[in-house]
This record gives sequence, C-alpha cells and structure tokens, in this order.
Amino acid sequence: MRYLPLPRTAVSVVAVATVVLLAWLGWGSIRHPEALWAPGDLSRYHADVARCVDCHEPFQGPSPAKCLACHSEKRFASRSKPAVRDFHREVIAQQKTCLVCHTEHRGALAQITTNAMFNPHGEFIFRATGTSSCSACHEFGSDVAARPTLLDNEIVRHLFEEGEGAHHRGRMANCLQCHVAGQMEIEDNEQGK
Amino acid sequence: MTVVFRRVFIVAGLVSMAVGGALLFEAILSLETVLSFGHTRQGHVTGWIGLAVILLVFVYPIRKRVGRNRTWPRGWFQVHMVAGVVGPLLILVHAGAHLHALVPILAMVAMGIVALSGIIGQAVHYLALRTLNEERRQFLQQGVSPDEAEARLHDEASREETFRVWQLIHAPMTFMFMVLVALHVIGTLYFGGL
Repeated sequence: MRYLPLPRTAVSVVAVATVVLLAWLGWGSIRHPEALWAPGDLSRYHADVARCVDCHEPFQGPSPAKCLACHSEKRFASRSKPAVRDFHREVIAQQKTCLVCHTEHRGALAQITTNAMFNPHGEFIFRATGTSSCSACHEFGSDVAARPTLLDNEIVRHLFEEGEGAHHRGRMANCLQCHVAGQMEIEDNEQGK
Repeated sequence: MTVVFRRVFIVAGLVSMAVGGALLFEAILSLETVLSFGHTRQGHVTGWIGLAVILLVFVYPIRKRVGRNRTWPRGWFQVHMVAGVVGPLLILVHAGAHLHALVPILAMVAMGIVALSGIIGQAVHYLALRTLNEERRQFLQQGVSPDEAEARLHDEASREETFRVWQLIHAPMTFMFMVLVALHVIGTLYFGGL
C-alpha cells in the first residue's frame, strides 16, 4: 500500500513561496523590526527607542555600553536622587551588567526592574514619617537582594517613641496590621501587642 | 459513525490534550520566573533540545532516498513519528502562549501544520486508504464488476482523497518550517547574544 507521490510542481511552488516569505520578512525587518523580532512591547520608559541596535549589540545582546550611551553618569547624577545615583555608581564600579536588575520587552506598563525593592510598609510609612524615600530610614547596599540596614537617626528614633513600646525591630514591617485602614491613631487595647 | 471518523475524533482529542498539557506546563514553569519560561536559561535549553529532537525526523526521509540498500527503514520511520510529536511538544513548552514576534509565531504555525499533517497522514489517511482498499477487494471477490465497485465506494473514495491533502502539505511545509526556525535562531542569537 503506497501513498501517491507529490506532484512535480510542489518543489517550484515551495521555492517561490519561500522567496516571497523571505522578501516579506526582510521588508518587515526594516519597516517594523519590533513586530517581527521582539519578544514583547517596550516599556513606557523606552517607548521612544527607535532601533533595535540602540540597545542590542549584534550577536552580543543588550550591552551596558549601549545603556550608558543614554544613561550617562552625568545625566544620571543630574536627574536622580543621591541614594539612587550612589547605588548605580557602585554597581558600575563593580562592573555588573545592567541586566542583573533591569529587563525589557515585557509590555508598555511593565516594570523594568527585576528583584526591585519591595516596600513592606506600604504608602502609610511615608505619610506617618513625613518622608518620601526609603533611604530616609534605611541604608541600602549594592546587593539589591539583601535586606537594608535600619538607620539610627531622628526619624527612626521618633518613630520608636511614637509607638509607645509597640514599635520595635522585627515588628514594624506590616504597619496596617495595627493601623487598620491606614489610621494614624489605634485603639488603646492594640498598644503593646 | 465510520471507523475513520471515529479515529478523527480520537486524534483531535489526543492532540488537544497534548497541546493543552504542554501550554499548561509552561505556564506553571513561568510562575517562578520574572520573564516567561522561554526567556530563561532552562527555557533556551528546552528549545535547543526540542530542535535537536525535531532534526531526528529527517533521518527517515534521507535513509529512504539515499544509500545502497534502499529498503524501507521501518525503525527510522518509528523515530520519525515519535520525534515528530515529542519535538513539537518540547517547542510548545519552550514557547508557551507568549506570542509577540511574528517570526517565531509563523514558525510555530508552520510546525503545527507539519506535525498535524503528519499525524493525519499516519493516523487517519492510512486507515482510510486501508479501509477503502479492503472494501474494494471484498467487492471484487464477491463478483462485483470494477466499475460497480468504484461506484459503491464513491463516498469512501472522496473521503480518502480529502485526507490525501496531508501529503501536499507535510513535506513542503516542513521546508518552510525549517526556514522559519533558522530565522528564529539567527534572530535570537543576533539580538540576545551568542
């Protein structure tokens, strides 16, 4: 029992179709490279990047040198908070690649920092302390995965005093556990638990 | 329901379950990663292994056409069938349902057409052809004239011709698939690094 052989025209039809496909993909690679090759849309931070080679080095992938072409130290220093600037300066000094923490092509609304610091206190801590940065109470090392150190400064001391014994190390991560619904004042029987 | 159509439903069910299972597995693997599984080191390795398994299918058509002793290589045909199913499933785990770039999407579609046409060829068309020939032989043994036998088998013959389309698709689409795979691999290495 044998299947019928393929018609002779099959080879020429496939050859023509392949040439048309390659021509179309070549044209598309020039006109819309992201649609043909990118694994996802760029984030809103890099939406104005026009060419793939602005970030990618051929056959080497995304390169720190390409990042620094836009995110130069001078520009970084003028537009970043000192803690952020110093953190990145240290990372660059250690010759770490940007890709250790940053990623792309995850969609317009995606975050591009992986292993980003998670604020366990939530927005409440900024309202309670009147600060606007984590570095007001914490010191961060170059290892983003490591826990930050709690500073011994006026803000932290004041926070401990305000808690009347309820605020102490190891028990302040989840503010809303006691400050239900983000209320500054809590019931007396909740104090000291 | 004829035996052929019952086979069609069974094959469709098994293919759906296999594809769904591979995509679900990838989704579970992606839960632990920031990027999708396909963009992790393990995801890349899965893709390379899938490609290596797929390349095994080419031993059968080569052995069938090349060599002094041109007997039908049954063993390699079995490798062809197994690798033609396992390889694409590994690629499904590698890719998951995260489709964005057109080149890998086209490669996936071509792979699906090639795998599905192969499955139809072996699991459905072969059965249809065998059933048709068997019935024709029985009619002729009963003394029915060849023309009368063909007339009685008209419906089965039409169905067999319909399933025969797999042959027109399988080999040509394999070539297109390999072209798209080559583009995907070159593009990945170009943009992602060697």
